[in-house]
Amino acid sequence: MYQKPSARARMTVGAVAVIVLAVIAGSVRAAARATPTLVIDTSFVITSLDPEAAHTPTALIVQKAAYDTLLTSDGLGSKPRPWLATSYTAAPNSKTFTFKIRKGVRFADGSRLTSADVVFSLRRLVNLRSPVSSFFAGVTVTAPNATTVVLRSSSSNPAIPTLLTIPTFGILNSKLVQANGGSDAVDAAAKDHAGAFFNTQTAGSGPYVLSSYTTNSTVVLKANPRYWGPKPHFKTVVIRNMLAPTQLLNVQRGSNEVAIDLSGAQAATLKSKQQIQVHISPSSNVFFLALNQDSNVSAAAANSHIRAAIRYGIDYSQLLKVAGPGAAQAAGVIPSIVSGALPRSEAPKTNLAKARAEVAASGISQPSITIAYPSDLTVNGLSFGPLAELVSAQLSAIGIKVKLQGIPTTTFLSLYGAGKLEAGQVYWVINFPDPADLRKFLPGGSYAVRVKWKKGDDQAIMRAYQVAAASRVRANRAKRFQAIQRTLNASGPWIPLFQPSQAIVGSKNLTNLALTPSWTVDVAAIGSS
Amino acid sequence: MAVARATSLGESRPFRRLSPKLVGVVARRIASFAYLAIGITFVSFALTQLVPADPALATLGQDATPAAIHAFHVRYGLDRPLPVRYGLYLERLVQGDLGTSQQTQNPVTHDLSVAIPATAELALLSVLGALLLGMSFGIIAALFRDRPLDYVLRVLSLGGVSVPTFWIGLSALYLLYFKYGMFPGGGRLDPTTFPPPHLTGAYTIDSIAARQWSTLWNAMHHLILPAAVLALFNIGVLTRYTRSAILEIIDQDYVRAARARGLPERTVIIEYVLRAAIPSIVTVFGLMFANVLAGAVLVENIFAWPGLGQYGYRAATTLDLPAITGVSLFVATVYITINLTVDLLNSFIDPRIRVSD
Repeated sequence: MYQKPSARARMTVGAVAVIVLAVIAGSVRAAARATPTLVIDTSFVITSLDPEAAHTPTALIVQKAAYDTLLTSDGLGSKPRPWLATSYTAAPNSKTFTFKIRKGVRFADGSRLTSADVVFSLRRLVNLRSPVSSFFAGVTVTAPNATTVVLRSSSSNPAIPTLLTIPTFGILNSKLVQANGGSDAVDAAAKDHAGAFFNTQTAGSGPYVLSSYTTNSTVVLKANPRYWGPKPHFKTVVIRNMLAPTQLLNVQRGSNEVAIDLSGAQAATLKSKQQIQVHISPSSNVFFLALNQDSNVSAAAANSHIRAAIRYGIDYSQLLKVAGPGAAQAAGVIPSIVSGALPRSEAPKTNLAKARAEVAASGISQPSITIAYPSDLTVNGLSFGPLAELVSAQLSAIGIKVKLQGIPTTTFLSLYGAGKLEAGQVYWVINFPDPADLRKFLPGGSYAVRVKWKKGDDQAIMRAYQVAAASRVRANRAKRFQAIQRTLNASGPWIPLFQPSQAIVGSKNLTNLALTPSWTVDVAAIGSS
Repeated sequence: MAVARATSLGESRPFRRLSPKLVGVVARRIASFAYLAIGITFVSFALTQLVPADPALATLGQDATPAAIHAFHVRYGLDRPLPVRYGLYLERLVQGDLGTSQQTQNPVTHDLSVAIPATAELALLSVLGALLLGMSFGIIAALFRDRPLDYVLRVLSLGGVSVPTFWIGLSALYLLYFKYGMFPGGGRLDPTTFPPPHLTGAYTIDSIAARQWSTLWNAMHHLILPAAVLALFNIGVLTRYTRSAILEIIDQDYVRAARARGLPERTVIIEYVLRAAIPSIVTVFGLMFANVLAGAVLVENIFAWPGLGQYGYRAATTLDLPAITGVSLFVATVYITINLTVDLLNSFIDPRIRVSD
């Protein structure tokens, strides 16, 4: 038998325990301190800080802060107004746009901003072939003199001024970017090597400059002392990569703190807190079902009666309950914040009798369909799995057998992109606040080809789009895009479901907290009362 | 099995000095890493080909146009046949170039130089804490066998092993950060504290070198909570392992003989019991590093710690092949080094153990 530990041994054990407790107790210190630094917590979505190569929510915050654009707006589709350009004119056919560049603007390194920088920036954007650059296809950029820039489009394109308000179209310091591997040549997509440079330095004339960027962790912005416009309130902005549950805790403990990835349900729990302000609204993301038009891929999805049955068979009010507070039914695929969106009154309505009649009229006995969804993706705090389960149950009730297929996002995108999915539960976010982005959903568009709706499949709808896209008068333009969406809702391969809620939550003292699809958050506009 | 026990004391050969044989074994182990590296790169390339997904879409997102996808393929050489890409990768690898990350557009070596010190700092504190507490708890539990303290420690260690790290991390954040404000919420430093001048990338070391004591305190403060969460699993494992190792030895005849000779209990425990138990504990210690690297993926995500776990996770979810391969090579190096170190340590601690190929 071993002996009972001695008193000395017990004392030693006790001492160790005391030391451990002392170390922990010694760590007690309030973490939060009032500082003039603005802290933005978000789940990082950054593929690059190069404004012309990336269009992701987190990168847009940095790009808006560091790069000026020729024009600006409220980010929600209001009429563009001059910014780096002091004025602009548009030809009646919306093919030629002439901009007068503001004099006296300097980049953060002190060099003067000229029309040559504008030409370089816009040419580089086109030649990098990044996703956003497709909206600028067919546009040539020239500079007759140091303060004038002319854009010529091969087709009528009234959306150009709106495009020029988003940070992706920010103006770069051409000499600095070229010195660091940047190129605006035709082969820039392969030859431009400035990506790593933009991770260490910004090359703009905006209110902030990049101080540091740690991958997956932190972006630190410092106020640009050479900024020509209104000085931002916060000298330093720290953007941190945080999971939503951690954001929920941080925003309650910190000061000058903002959280932008909370779900509507999470944000709603903070409404009673005195020190917090909560803004919940429908986001610009639209969840929808995509149905493959190719009968070789899916006989059911390609059947117009089955598509109608699905449209009538979904109980949208139930989906909204799952989507949480602040979510709204989508009337069409264009989100409600954008001019040209359908009014809520025209949103698809549930009608189970009609749905069953459509199933019967389809000529398919016991129709079945596989609905795939990205299994590891969360958008506005919502996972796709529970929503797909609900849709599956609702369609089973009208006689359509549904098989669900959760697929990791990387694989999902490849299968979806190749048009191999029968049906997908997906979402999209409008890239710029103009209904012309609807092109993706029309025959031959980047989304349409994923459901095998090919170029030439519907000439009438494409003619309608061309007329709508060329419309200069805002009201007419909106009406024409609404008409296209009515057609899509009646017979197209898309079933718009809902817009989830988005929430921006921040310390009570902060002013001008707002989320926009154009640049997520404008940190330079945020002040303190 | 890398570590073999000699069949009898007569065959044992003490390795207290570096014998030529030992040096040879170590050299061969290091040389074998070259083969392993080739194997890892090959498996990484093969696996990413088996996944039916396109890295371009994974990086550019669903709005990527065919032109953008093509440009991405050309930029990263994905338009070339796999054997050509693999050959080019090996050629660059020999020159110390791990390629360019598709997710960050930085050289992978640069990304690793940022991520590795962050994880190393976390892992070392976690392992040292687990070693100190796990061994202490194990010894105490064994000495108080079948008494209330033993039961308490066994239940706690079971909890450490079985409760998911993700849940522990979130609970710790809620209680110790949000509720009681004892620790900061996440990240390596407060938002208002700036990193010390770069020397090693480990903020604790760099702030000492720069004599930035407030930064050192801030970095330590941020380290404690994630390191503690990361350590809990290992504390549980080590407590249970140490307890059973000691209980196996404590009733041995030579221990009883030592007591019968009237040696103080402290001497008996340290010199006779613990010393005999240490080789087993050292082997478990090696496994602890594997647990830490696996746990780091979750802990780093919860605590917004920009280390290897987060980097590897993001690389995997975006099919960033150069980054995946770079992380795999580094992790393999760590494993091999730890295995070798454990074998060598055991041979020094117990001369009856010899290191073999």
